[in-house]
Amino acid sequence: METATAPALARPAGLENEVFTFWPKHNRALYDRLETKHAYVERDADPLEASMTLNIGPQHPATHGVLRVVAKLDGETIESALLDLGYLHRGIEKLAEVKTFQEFMPYTDRMDYLSPYSNNVAWCLAVEKLANVEVPERAQWIRTMLCELARVSSHLLWMGTMVMDAGAMSAFLWTFKWREEIYTIFDHVAGARFTVSHCRIGGVTTDLSPDAIGMIRTFVENFAPDIEEWDKLLAGNRIWVERNAGVGTVTKEEAMAIGLAGPSLRASGVPYDLRRFEPYLKYEDLDFTIPLRTEGDCLARYLIRLDEMRESVKILRQCLDRLPEGPVRVDNAKHAYPSKDEVYYSMEGMIHDFMMTDVGVAPPKGAEAYHAIEAPKGELGFFLASDGTGSPYRVEMTSPSFANLQALEYMLEGVMVADTVVMIGSVDPVMGEADK
Amino acid sequence: MNDDSQNAAPPDKPEPTGLKYHFTPRRARAQEAKKANPHAKATTHNPAVVDALRAEFGERIGEVVTYANEQTVFVQRRAIADVCGYLKDAHGFNFLVMIGCIDRFTETERFEVFYNLVAIDPPKRLRLKVRVDDGETVPTVTGVYPNANWHEREGWDFMGVRFDGHPDLRRMFMPEDFEYHPHRKEFPTLGIPGSLPLPNQETDGELTLDPFARAHGSLPSD
Repeated sequence: METATAPALARPAGLENEVFTFWPKHNRALYDRLETKHAYVERDADPLEASMTLNIGPQHPATHGVLRVVAKLDGETIESALLDLGYLHRGIEKLAEVKTFQEFMPYTDRMDYLSPYSNNVAWCLAVEKLANVEVPERAQWIRTMLCELARVSSHLLWMGTMVMDAGAMSAFLWTFKWREEIYTIFDHVAGARFTVSHCRIGGVTTDLSPDAIGMIRTFVENFAPDIEEWDKLLAGNRIWVERNAGVGTVTKEEAMAIGLAGPSLRASGVPYDLRRFEPYLKYEDLDFTIPLRTEGDCLARYLIRLDEMRESVKILRQCLDRLPEGPVRVDNAKHAYPSKDEVYYSMEGMIHDFMMTDVGVAPPKGAEAYHAIEAPKGELGFFLASDGTGSPYRVEMTSPSFANLQALEYMLEGVMVADTVVMIGSVDPVMGEADK
Repeated sequence: MNDDSQNAAPPDKPEPTGLKYHFTPRRARAQEAKKANPHAKATTHNPAVVDALRAEFGERIGEVVTYANEQTVFVQRRAIADVCGYLKDAHGFNFLVMIGCIDRFTETERFEVFYNLVAIDPPKRLRLKVRVDDGETVPTVTGVYPNANWHEREGWDFMGVRFDGHPDLRRMFMPEDFEYHPHRKEFPTLGIPGSLPLPNQETDGELTLDPFARAHGSLPSD
């Protein structure tokens, strides 16, 4: 069958030599209508051909907080983008210098406020390394378990908002149902749903009740099948896959150079997970794998986090089975709070409680230590310098969101405006942590 | 590491007895300091790398401090970019985790800038440290590790340490209008009144520069 070739269209009269634009009269009418006393349209070039500066944020729902992106656009493509941080800056590193080590704990809850338990543990481990404090077995298992719960809860929120950014509301409701369950567990364990502050230097504050352990077990059993269901719904969803596949691709070399962290780094094929790199708590004894992918795009980052939730469930099961009996706080009055029984019924206990609150743990003068954990978003570490008193001389945090946002600035160059929302979501920034 | 004479074991006095449960005696504390750190990691102790650094750079590598099995290598200020480049090429330290600054509040060599480097395979972690006077610059390492960009901007913003050759040394968190470097030891924790414009405490009226305007009885509009 033969096909007729269409004859080339002639340019409209008077516009033969100009850059071709669709419907020039129509566009001119639109620009005329747009012009008011508050707005003007540049006439020397076609506005569609000129570059434009667009400000996104700091108050914008898709930025997951107070992130400001200033983008230079060429049509719908971002020529270059600058990220402006600091809208949630509270100076917690400076505040730590006037707090005792234990007093600073509630501030860590408010850094990455989607997984407060991980921050508590990161802080405690750093102080314990600095002051050479031992932690009893059971406390370490409890911390491991609750860190994994925090990871699941953070990934759940990430997944809900990420899918919502891409246009689907329902996933947000499914994931928040399970996040609510985790809140209830934390409420039972620590007495607070959100800002838990359950850790103490040298252990944890209260033991898990049999009720709480039962709740975690129920959660693990019922939650695991739901991951598979979401995977089926999203991996088979054409809109979701096409919004994510091939978007924001970062190669292995680029990922290292621009300093991505956590799941985003592993989605580009860099096997850097501190649970295996520098095992802390009980991760050395646990059987789990580190999910790794090589595509490096938004879809890979989604799949990595889904796999991490599966691995977390595996870790939680092992923790529940292997949780040993024993004390949850080290029995050393110079390192940790005494138990409440001692405080109420012995003079020494009361004095020690007072001294812990007033002075606290005092690491040796001039000591410096760095300890990092694998938080849900990546390497969360504290560098501590001591001057021999009960408060740190200097605290410097490594925050994964800060690292990821720096990488995002690089990744945003050359992508479409519509993809920014998905890309911001895919690196999972939390401004409380990035802004310190 | 614990060189505090208070904690040293008294040589001949007998241990106090009877308070064993509630009271941790000094002798036990001295023993404790000698115990291996339970949180120490194998990755942070790399004598082979330190020896190689000494062989390559000689005088420009200073002392090496070890605490909790973590090695800190002091490097001469001008050599830091070369040392980072060498570590990246020859020892696989291809990932920069963070750059931080400490204010020692001393007359000379007031600031310390430290670099936390990681080699992924085999796992190694190393801390380099540079000492710098107030007003002196540190060569940038953005040529070796592009992600040093924001970390060095943070150092400039918070401590006022300038990085020589940095492509874009703007403030990281504080606005450009801010005149101080808030993580320096002389900067008060409460902040400096008048350093940043704040919303008025009345429903209408202009911005105020004094956060304690009401207490000072100097409300801008009445």
